[in-house]
Amino acid sequence: MKIKQIFISLLFAMVAMTSMSYATEHQDTTSVATEESSTKRVYEPKSLSELASSFWQTTGINALLDTHDGETTADPRGSAYETELNWFQSSLGRIIMILIVFLLFYLAIAKGFEPLLLIPIAFGGLLANIPLANMGGEHGMLGIIYNMGIANEFFPLLIFMGVGAMTDFGPLLANPKTALLGGAAQFGIFGSLVGAVMIGFDLQSASAISIIGGADGPTSIFIANRLAPEMLGAIAVAAYSYMALVPVIQPPIMKALTTKEERRIVMKTLRPVHRLEKLIFPILVLVLSILVLPESTPLIGAFAFGNFAKESGVIDRLSDTMQNALINVVTIFLGMGVGSKLAADKFLVLETMGIMIIGLLAFSAGTAAGVIMAKIMNKFSDEPINPLIGAAGVSAVPMSARVVSKVGSEAKPGNILLMHAMGPNVAGVIGSAVAAGVLLSIFK
Amino acid sequence: MADVNNVVEALKFMVLGMGVVYLFLYILVVLVKVQASLIAKYFPENIPKIPTPPVGQTIDEDENRRVAAIIAAVSEFRKK
Repeated sequence: MKIKQIFISLLFAMVAMTSMSYATEHQDTTSVATEESSTKRVYEPKSLSELASSFWQTTGINALLDTHDGETTADPRGSAYETELNWFQSSLGRIIMILIVFLLFYLAIAKGFEPLLLIPIAFGGLLANIPLANMGGEHGMLGIIYNMGIANEFFPLLIFMGVGAMTDFGPLLANPKTALLGGAAQFGIFGSLVGAVMIGFDLQSASAISIIGGADGPTSIFIANRLAPEMLGAIAVAAYSYMALVPVIQPPIMKALTTKEERRIVMKTLRPVHRLEKLIFPILVLVLSILVLPESTPLIGAFAFGNFAKESGVIDRLSDTMQNALINVVTIFLGMGVGSKLAADKFLVLETMGIMIIGLLAFSAGTAAGVIMAKIMNKFSDEPINPLIGAAGVSAVPMSARVVSKVGSEAKPGNILLMHAMGPNVAGVIGSAVAAGVLLSIFK
Repeated sequence: MADVNNVVEALKFMVLGMGVVYLFLYILVVLVKVQASLIAKYFPENIPKIPTPPVGQTIDEDENRRVAAIIAAVSEFRKK
């Protein structure tokens, strides 16, 4: 019995020794690597008051109040890119941003503005504004998420895949000419490009900002990464907040540009669409973009793959994953990663104001161009076209189609425009991907 | 001066961009129409009839049986 005990205790001692030797070895290497930090680690006895004051130094209250504590910005690219915060960024700015985040929570929960996007983004913003925690840094949670899929444009493509798998091109195939409305809405992109240049942005940044007019978050991130990576945060936040604000921004523009009679127009029911048409369509779009604009194929390719997986009808498991599990996971990560750019030092700069304003103009111009185009089509077409559906040409799928349907049924109860609006809506996704490809090809 | 040039450049982008977007969508619309007419020509039966005929037949059969049953019942009743 005793022998057994001795043996076990010896075994424990050996294990402890080896782990200690590992630990010391490890400490040696780290102390060689960073001599400064190892000297700090030596603990000196402290009085209780010293302990209390050193604890006070590490509290958030102190970090928010003390404006000269040498805090640095958090940058997912690594500490080499981090700079010291100024007094505004380290105290008041953070408080302002946290209040903005609470406003976003309110909009998402109480008003129901696209909570799927706004809540992850806003919470990411809340985490990014915590002092001292450095969550947006290279080794912080938000920084890791950012590097994982936003900095390398991966998440936007996955989102496109999921959107492709969710999209039903039936309405577009049944009434193909509504696709042209999706093109008109891209005027928002190019019109605001001119506006941004007038304000004083250079051409590349202006192009990146103006993509917000497509109301397409993934495309905006994709383009901003290529053309103006330093503005990515503000552009992504602007794009997603305008997507969330579709129900607020669009209806006044739609109502201003149409008469009540026009809003009341009832459209013909759509013809049924052959399954083969739906199956061939994604391939058709992809082939066309390969021939015309290979620059846009990352986006359109992912989109076409998702849609083809759905329409093939034989890999429901995969298309189901793309539509649900995958896109949900990516939405969480994308939201939090975008939210990390709501840190006060990145967001509360003058450029952000410019980006938000141009984004809003771009978005409104896109909506207006779509509606005007639909009015023109209505004049020349033998079938009646409700001009409202032009507003769905911005590619916020399916929110803008829903908004169109809502405004339409307000003007004439029982007039359901949802399926008619889906045509321009999905064409808008293709259109903004094409517009993105054009802009990329210019700066290649 | 540089600003003015940039604005002109941006306008050129606009012309090119809108042109390409419209060209792309227009070709797409044409192709979709061609595709729809081809499919309607060579695979005309598939869409409305694959779902409906089986349903229609079963309904018809049921209906026939029901009618037969009613006739039989009525004739049985009259015989009495």
